[in-house]
Amino acid sequence: MAKSAKTANLHLQKLPRSGSIKIDRNACLACRECEVVCSLYHEEECNPALSRIQVTFDDFVPSFPSLSVCKQCDWPACYYACADVLGESAIEIDPVTGARFINESKCIGCGACLRACPLTPEIPVIYYKMVNSKRVYFKCDLCKDRAEGPLCVEICPGGALTFVPAKKGGKTDG
Amino acid sequence: MAEMYGWTGKMLRVDLSSGKISHIDTSQYVPQFIGGLGIAAKIAWDELKPGTGPFEPDNILMVMVGPLTGTLASGAGRVEVMGIAPQQHPPVFSRSGMGGHWGPELKYAGFDGIVVQGKAAKPVYIWINDGKVEIRDASNIWGTGTYATTAALRAMHGPKTRVIVCGQAGEKLSRIAVVQTETGNAAGQGGYGGVMGSKNLKAIAVRGTRGVRLARPAEFLELCLNASREGESPARLAMMEAYGMKTYSKLKESGVGYRRRKCGFCITPCMHEMHMNVPGEASSGVYTTARQCWGYSASYRAHIEARAITSDYGINGWEVSYGIIPWLQLCRQHSLIDKIDGIEIPVPEKPIQYLSDCAPCPAEFLKVLLHKIAFREGAIGDALADGACYAADRLFDGKGESLLDRIYPRHAGQTEHWGGHWGPGGVVYYPWWLPPILQWCVDTRDPANDSTHQWTEHVQYYLTQSGPDRGPFPLEKVRAVSAKVYGNPDVCDPAFEYDPPETKAIPAIWHHDRGMIINSLILCDNEHTRVFSMLSEDGAADTSLRSKLLSAGTGIETSEQELDKAGERIFNLLRAIDIRNYDRNRKVDEQTIDGFMYPGKDDGVMMDKSKFLKLLDKYYELRNWNKRNGWPTRAKLEELGLKEVADELEAVGKLG
Repeated sequence: MAKSAKTANLHLQKLPRSGSIKIDRNACLACRECEVVCSLYHEEECNPALSRIQVTFDDFVPSFPSLSVCKQCDWPACYYACADVLGESAIEIDPVTGARFINESKCIGCGACLRACPLTPEIPVIYYKMVNSKRVYFKCDLCKDRAEGPLCVEICPGGALTFVPAKKGGKTDG
Repeated sequence: MAEMYGWTGKMLRVDLSSGKISHIDTSQYVPQFIGGLGIAAKIAWDELKPGTGPFEPDNILMVMVGPLTGTLASGAGRVEVMGIAPQQHPPVFSRSGMGGHWGPELKYAGFDGIVVQGKAAKPVYIWINDGKVEIRDASNIWGTGTYATTAALRAMHGPKTRVIVCGQAGEKLSRIAVVQTETGNAAGQGGYGGVMGSKNLKAIAVRGTRGVRLARPAEFLELCLNASREGESPARLAMMEAYGMKTYSKLKESGVGYRRRKCGFCITPCMHEMHMNVPGEASSGVYTTARQCWGYSASYRAHIEARAITSDYGINGWEVSYGIIPWLQLCRQHSLIDKIDGIEIPVPEKPIQYLSDCAPCPAEFLKVLLHKIAFREGAIGDALADGACYAADRLFDGKGESLLDRIYPRHAGQTEHWGGHWGPGGVVYYPWWLPPILQWCVDTRDPANDSTHQWTEHVQYYLTQSGPDRGPFPLEKVRAVSAKVYGNPDVCDPAFEYDPPETKAIPAIWHHDRGMIINSLILCDNEHTRVFSMLSEDGAADTSLRSKLLSAGTGIETSEQELDKAGERIFNLLRAIDIRNYDRNRKVDEQTIDGFMYPGKDDGVMMDKSKFLKLLDKYYELRNWNKRNGWPTRAKLEELGLKEVADELEAVGKLG
């Protein structure tokens, strides 16, 4: 999609950095409590299919589990891609944590964010659900409304997840 | 049907004889029977008639989940498998649980359980995908191990497909065949893999994305977060740490790679977390396995290999390593056998008194033994494939039967465990092993799957005095918690042994009833029910946690007393099945005692049979069962809302 003058400008705008969730997959016990607590908090049901963090593992492959969750990029391609479509991004920046979160009431379900994400398609971290037969996209918002911080970090029994606040640099481990 | 929270609202009934698939409405059973084991008990009471054998098409295989399965409640990954258990000697209706990821997946696919009946004409598997159910041809996976079967079904239905499966042992109707899921979890006891085999049912594969809806999600979340912060006794953590360190150092020596893992949907500190890379010398292509439930191998490599092979063949490794191998070693000490296929049965020099006396087994011996068991090879493999109790009936002209005495209480098919005598299980000192033995007396299986651990593994680690362990609480505090939780301060006081008898009968009943609740919700007995807490001011755990979780999860307000009553109801119903279908009575219960009439393994204390019989008297009295025959009274059954059970027992002359 061609960029409008307004959004081209927006691409140059420097966004506040975000905190992020640091992953140590070697410490993951594959219990999937992060998936359950994430869906319970955000979707009011226990459903790993609606979790913002995903654990992938296979007992028949001798490797550590993979954990995928939004890295809250310094230059969030999803944010700009959404703005290109809507004029004003439905992905917003939380003033406290810096989390790039999808304002579900503004999401039109086009999927531009998912396509723009540099992790797509190998490690998708943006997902959609069906609400009234329409797609609504969702991704990690660092539990921005929760004073205690992200729930997945709090619940993890293996110590595989750490919340790194923005002021410390916010770089994820890639 | 009204919308349900917690429960999905329906269960599956699959008749493999006719191929008919139907739904059972969960609401007709709840909240009275909670879910899981409770509902299965009711279905068994209604449908399983006396005289049905475990491998007959009329046996019902129930694989159940509960209202809390797949939720954030710690331990919510478990599944309960029920039906007539071929491993039990003689077979009776019983139960076996397992952790993992299959149970939550079934819930997410829209079901509270599966009831499988009949027998398919040819090998099949059941494929459940978000509410859609199919019976599919399994001829291409029949004959393969559990690992290859799981991998094949994943390849066909997607990498997130969860599978329960029987191995070659199950297909061969081994009485010690397990229902396996992934590489690290199995419903081990009972022989339900053989029941799958008898129904020509190779596997049940599930994929679900529907989630579990909760009535009050915010409250539920808060309950789970608070519970997860509940402290663990330093003595128990130290025990687990020591066990872990022992394992780590063995691992280091062995050169076996490993990673840690939990069995799913659980944050509780627990020893079930090892997951290894297997050397692949004896069983190539198998990468990982659990460490648990295997002992007495000559090396750690042998241990890991044996564990991987048992899981792949779908054999009950517990039964092999803690029952069959010790029994074979005893048989060799009594000159009944010395070799299997030319390989010597390892044997210690001194007579075997306890499990810990047994000689370690080299990998070569284990490999041959497990292969013979899985494929029923030769007379010895054919006999051992049914477990040591059935093998003793057939081998050595019955001369091996008395050698079962210490291993198998009542020769009932399950090895002694956490009862302070034969081992396995940890250290339990007199008098703390008295309540577990009471539980052994009245159960249909080893009760340390859902009921005993709460007592032996939790309570004793808080006591000021319990063998070598020193708990954190002074006696006054222990007595105060005991008074609050059990309604009797003396229960946890080491000054009281056989007298007064309720000090042992109360915890035996209390934990057994709660075991029924745990298996119905379904949660894990490693976490629930706690008696003590490191964090509360008075040292008592919040025993109402389960009823709060159930209330917030389902929206059906259930008090702690009501939930306890449900646990008692389920226990009484299981007892009624045992009485009606299998002639269970006090005489049978008492046969259990003889299996414990030797000095305790940790303390050398001998049980006093006449005093123990008084404990049993008190047990029946507190249960409001008839002391003479051990049968529930009409008053008790009616109090529990089981009038029709009382009527039926009366009609067959078995009402207490």
